[in-house]
Amino acid sequence: MKNIIEVKNLTKKYKNTKAIDDLSFNVKEGEILGLLGPNGSGKSTTINCILSLLNFDSGIIEIFGKKMNTNAYDIKEKIGVVFQEVAVFNELTVYENIDYFCGLYIKDKIKRKEYIEDAIKLVGLEDFKKYYPKQLSGGLLRRLNIACGIAHKPKLIFLDEPTVAVDPQSRNNILDGIKKLASEGATIVYTTHYMEEVEILCNRVIILDRGKIIASGTNEELKLLTKIEEKVIVEINDLDEKYINDIKKQNNVDSVSYNDNNLVIYFKKGKNNIVSLIEYLKKENIIYNKIYSMVPTLNDVFLELTGKELRD
Amino acid sequence: MFLHNFKYSFLTLFRNKMLIFWTFAFPIILATFFMMAFSNIEKKEQLDIIDIAIVENEEFTNNKILNEAFKVLGDKNSKEQLFNIKYTKLEDAKKLLTDGEISGYLLVKKESTEVIVSTSGVNQTILKQVTDEIIQNQKIMEKIVENETVNGIYNIDYNKIYENAIKTINEAEVRLENVSNKNLSYTMIEFYSLIAMACLYGGILGLSSINEVQANMSNNGKRVQVSPVSKSKIILGSTLASYIAQLIGLAILFIYTVFVLKIDYGSNLLLIILLSLVGSLAGLSIGILVGSGFKTNENAKTGIILSYTMFCCFLSGMMGITMKYIIDKNIPIINKLNPASMIVDGFYSLYYYDTLDRYFFNVISLVIFACILILISIYSLRRQKYDSI
Repeated sequence: MKNIIEVKNLTKKYKNTKAIDDLSFNVKEGEILGLLGPNGSGKSTTINCILSLLNFDSGIIEIFGKKMNTNAYDIKEKIGVVFQEVAVFNELTVYENIDYFCGLYIKDKIKRKEYIEDAIKLVGLEDFKKYYPKQLSGGLLRRLNIACGIAHKPKLIFLDEPTVAVDPQSRNNILDGIKKLASEGATIVYTTHYMEEVEILCNRVIILDRGKIIASGTNEELKLLTKIEEKVIVEINDLDEKYINDIKKQNNVDSVSYNDNNLVIYFKKGKNNIVSLIEYLKKENIIYNKIYSMVPTLNDVFLELTGKELRD
Repeated sequence: MFLHNFKYSFLTLFRNKMLIFWTFAFPIILATFFMMAFSNIEKKEQLDIIDIAIVENEEFTNNKILNEAFKVLGDKNSKEQLFNIKYTKLEDAKKLLTDGEISGYLLVKKESTEVIVSTSGVNQTILKQVTDEIIQNQKIMEKIVENETVNGIYNIDYNKIYENAIKTINEAEVRLENVSNKNLSYTMIEFYSLIAMACLYGGILGLSSINEVQANMSNNGKRVQVSPVSKSKIILGSTLASYIAQLIGLAILFIYTVFVLKIDYGSNLLLIILLSLVGSLAGLSIGILVGSGFKTNENAKTGIILSYTMFCCFLSGMMGITMKYIIDKNIPIINKLNPASMIVDGFYSLYYYDTLDRYFFNVISLVIFACILILISIYSLRRQKYDSI
């Protein structure tokens, strides 16, 4: 598969702070690339530089094999962007908003009308065509934001945290819509700090922190980077420090934490460590409310690589 | 593309309640308040009809000029009636004065004509001035008669001379009347300033059109910036929509003030429209400059435009005509650079002067003002990328 985006040695500074530090990556045709990182990690800045909205200090950006710049209209007409902030006109209805932004790309009115209907259907706003943005809930507004960005059926779509502060129903709708866009052949760059979304959507993930790539690969490849293979969580009230230290000393345990009556035990290997743990709790007569096992997530990968949570 | 952008810019402007208020409703509200406030002031300043008495004696009856002049000035059917005259005996006139029913009375004697008043005041002064003026004219006539006699013409038709004299006086009054029509009232200056303000409020519309295309100013600007359409096309469409919206607002203000408030702007409609077009362009250019040149949020920019406009209108005489005169007298350059003053002065000169030199000077000044601001804005808007957004 050919590269749709190629970013080489991109660096962007704000005074003395490097927002993006020598970033290089590519996006292949048809893939959904996840840019994962906490707030301030440089995800939006990277996208804004790729889109030629922001000046950058050094680096090369090519899209569809051509150098990207502000006047590269032949490239821009194949790109759709859904910004993190909702970008719609409050004075225009749902339909008019989509028509306005789609009209910047599609001149043919009949074709445009068809595209607008498709976009409205994709995001599930059929019943809200004549509504003004102020009459929509946060989730519906996000859906409109997406429809405005993708109505012209672009080949390359940038989605910058499109699900921030939306209700679960809208989130599911948005994620389904993105999957559909991908299945229709669009290449997607998806930034988020929700690891669950990345795991559901993305073929490949780049984890950013402080403007640098700290890891990249498929979900499975990234999870192999972590030393742990299983995480067991036990709800116990007022657990004595003695027991925590005992558990830490057990074979196969990498680390243990106890916060808010939640005991979290990270096991280095295997997937059935829960059995031995239950035996230990029984033996020590420790009463617990709930016990469950989880495989490591990208958050665990991020935690291990950076020492902090993705949502910090 | 141009029409597409124009159509939606127009829709957006007309559905924006804040813009509608500042550009359409606010000037109309202000005009209504002006009318309520200043019409009362002007009414107070209008002269009341003055109650006087004239002692009806032989001397007065024989003095045809005084007789005729006061007959005209006391004509109850005339719009120009100045006096409410009672023709009485001397005793009655004295009593009327003592009782305060008249401001003064006129006593014509052989040697002189006396104006008797009990107190000093505006009415008394007017009675005295008017009487003096008539007597002055009478003396001129008598001098003419005397000269004519000296020249050897003995068959003088006194009646004819008096008729001519009265005709001369009446013509003089007619001329005075024409000039007084051209005397601008305070209200007119206030309304000119109000129109100047309405023109300059177009800046808010201009600001709105620029904000919507700048990626560092609005989220919509980001979308526009990543689209395959040149920024200049979008700006042209949205700015034209703003300009037309501004002119519609101005037209509504004119219609309201002319037909509802009965303001007379004079008869030179085409030149009034030209000045309004140019004034609105100047207003729009202020908004474009503030939108493109200032690095602050939209609300702050709107505040800058509103404050600047109000300050300009203040200097041009909106809050009191004295300010315009003070500035014109002491620091004339300020009002030469003040777009509100240029608009006010343009209307003023159109109404007041017979030649159009001063009017066109103001029109050209406004065009130059707008062009300079737009050129600076274009230079600023040429930037395509931002250091931060």
